[in-house]
Amino acid sequence: MAAVSLIGRGTVVRGNVRGDGSLEIQGRVEGDVTVTGDVVLGEEAVVRGSITGAQLNIAGTVQGDLRGTESLLVERGARVVGDLTSPRIGVAPGALVRGNVRTDGEAPLATPVARRPGLAAQPHRSAAPAARPAPVAAPKLEPVKAAPPPPPPPPPKPDEPDEPDADEMESEPPSAPAAKAPPPVVPALGKHAKAKKKRRDG
Amino acid sequence: MAGTVVGEGLSIEGDLSSDEEVVVHGNVRGKLTTTDQVSIASGGVVQADVSGATVSIAGQVTGDVTASERVDLQTGGRLVGDVKAARFTIADGASFKGNVDMEM
Amino acid sequence: MVRHSTELSVLGAGSKVTGRVSGEGSLRIEGSVRGDVQLSGDAEIASGGSVEGNVQANALEIAGSLQGDVNAHGPIAIRSGAVVRGELKGSEVSIEPGSRISVRLETEIELDLGGGSGGPKRR
Repeated sequence: MAAVSLIGRGTVVRGNVRGDGSLEIQGRVEGDVTVTGDVVLGEEAVVRGSITGAQLNIAGTVQGDLRGTESLLVERGARVVGDLTSPRIGVAPGALVRGNVRTDGEAPLATPVARRPGLAAQPHRSAAPAARPAPVAAPKLEPVKAAPPPPPPPPPKPDEPDEPDADEMESEPPSAPAAKAPPPVVPALGKHAKAKKKRRDG
Repeated sequence: MAGTVVGEGLSIEGDLSSDEEVVVHGNVRGKLTTTDQVSIASGGVVQADVSGATVSIAGQVTGDVTASERVDLQTGGRLVGDVKAARFTIADGASFKGNVDMEM
Repeated sequence: MVRHSTELSVLGAGSKVTGRVSGEGSLRIEGSVRGDVQLSGDAEIASGGSVEGNVQANALEIAGSLQGDVNAHGPIAIRSGAVVRGELKGSEVSIEPGSRISVRLETEIELDLGGGSGGPKRR
């Protein structure tokens, strides 16, 4: 069994904490915490940085992302600004969390069901949460837009998911890869061509 | 009961400052400061200046060690760095390289 | 928990609404709604129920599925078994383990990061 470490109430670590084993934080860490074991953050504890571990139990204050590879429980009294990622997430009543919360890791957000225009979750609408010292790579809820791995059958351009073009801000049509048809130029087909053209305008 | 324990397998890169006892079984690289006791256990590896009321070294320390009371280098301990303390003991079987200042 | 005011409506399990649902009072959704839901009372998406659209309500409890944004005056409770995707804003958000979520929480919160005593401030 790997060791259990303790950063006591009277201790401040300015720097990163990483390694094997589990960790209980009652003091303060300004830096990232990355361990293979579990992390318990006491009520009075403060972490400015991310916390990554297997099972996280957070009762204190965190400005940074939380990632529990097994579970992530945020207890009442906790105050978190940052992204939460874990296959199993609990946030108790009384806890306050601001940020993206995902149980599905880096799932593509372009779900099979088309998003209606009324639905927001535009990338720019979600104002970025408070700056975090060391954002954990990836699980940001930048919805709809290119999630790092695009949905299963990516069209030629990886960053144009199929459905949500209805509510995309891009004014130019996202589809129309250059390889496709160039703007239609009516070839000189003879007399008929002109007539057709007029009709089309009409 | 130790206030802070850096367990075996844990690494701290940066400054650790405390007002309670600190025991290091793992790694500290940077700076370690407490107003209380410091113990570097036999598996502990510290690359940092260490400062405490008392500093007891059974592991490895590379860095200067300052104590308001005493520094004890235990058997098996290795210290490379300067020591500044009123009292300093080096046990048989310990190794030490550095300067000593035992200001009174 | 949805308060059973005198004005509790229920969209039963077999029902499907396409379009906006709005009104005074509270609503329990056991069927499916594709459209926005706007209530002055509480809303509950029961297990088996689903909403694709934005929800505005007092308190909101989700045991079924929600895809859309939420603006709640009161608390938002996500039950185990719920599937939720969207941006959630409420006085408080609680999440039970076992739910599947991809949400953004826009809780108003001020962190007290100074060392020492005194609990963190809220709002």
